[in-house]
Amino acid sequence: MKKSFQIEIFDFFLKHKIENFIGVPDSTLKHFISYGLEKKKIIITTREEEAIGIASGMTMSDSNSLVFMQNAGFANSISTITSLVELYKIPLIFLIGWRGYLKNDAPEHLKIGKIQPDLLKIIGLPSKTLSQKNWKNSCVWALKKIQKNQPCALIVKREFYD
Amino acid sequence: MIRKEAMRLILAKINSEPIVSANGFISRDLFELKDKPSNFYMIGSMGLASSIGLGVALKNPKKKNFVFDGDGSILMNLGSLTTIASLKPKNFIHIIFDNASHESTGGQPTVTSKIRIKNIAKSLNYKVFEVKTKNEIENFFRKISSTVGPIMLIVKVQKSIIVSKRIDISPTKIKNRFIDSLKN
Repeated sequence: MKKSFQIEIFDFFLKHKIENFIGVPDSTLKHFISYGLEKKKIIITTREEEAIGIASGMTMSDSNSLVFMQNAGFANSISTITSLVELYKIPLIFLIGWRGYLKNDAPEHLKIGKIQPDLLKIIGLPSKTLSQKNWKNSCVWALKKIQKNQPCALIVKREFYD
Repeated sequence: MIRKEAMRLILAKINSEPIVSANGFISRDLFELKDKPSNFYMIGSMGLASSIGLGVALKNPKKKNFVFDGDGSILMNLGSLTTIASLKPKNFIHIIFDNASHESTGGQPTVTSKIRIKNIAKSLNYKVFEVKTKNEIENFFRKISSTVGPIMLIVKVQKSIIVSKRIDISPTKIKNRFIDSLKN
């Protein structure tokens, strides 16, 4: 996704009272993260589960949070999502970069990339894939979800090679 | 001293300040000793007490925020110590009940009989205290009244055969009353 859209998405969430952006960097989301760093709104953690923990503590303190990660990190996080976020119904927005979307991405991403949509479904985390055309509708959908105390995920496809 | 005894002494010094407690026997001890809305009992998400507690501490700067952690639990999330140390929450009191074992899963050993969490935390500029006796716990609370965090208290405890009851409040209720308690 182009830089300009990633910046617009960040600004959109800021404007709609998402106050904390916490996660582990992902090249698919690098413009989103760089822009957030410039705005001093980002906390980078050592692992994705740690980010989810911090975001949960902040969200329970009445300060809404978004957690960003690559889908490799999403795989790391499954137990935390099921036994913390879903179990306690903590309304976090996940922003996940989808490596392995392209069939000839680097080999370490292919398996997780292939099962990414199924993994989301199996753990019951509702998700929408962002595109440059529909991103705003999907972000509005995510805001409505968290207003109803429901966590959700927004997925950004990796559509280029390094 | 066993963990539950140590926790009882510590709880006598804590009023309605938030406590995030690690999953397993630590949360169960806390629930049995002094259940209150300002306790956030983790029942899953192994290892994340320090991270959840960090999030709460950063957003509640006027409260003292406690984490009740275990040695096994913090060893699973040692990276969190670097994040905490870099963000320097002044109001963060990280208590580690260290029995050098995974007591909740049958008492298997952790490595804290061989390595010192104290030294790791010190190198990260945590204010670190290590205690073994009841008197030392009393002294700790006297010392920290004017200490700026992050503070770590390592309580060396013995393994125990006492098992506290399970937490019988639903996770969403634990969360909702915790959220309400933070508003006061």
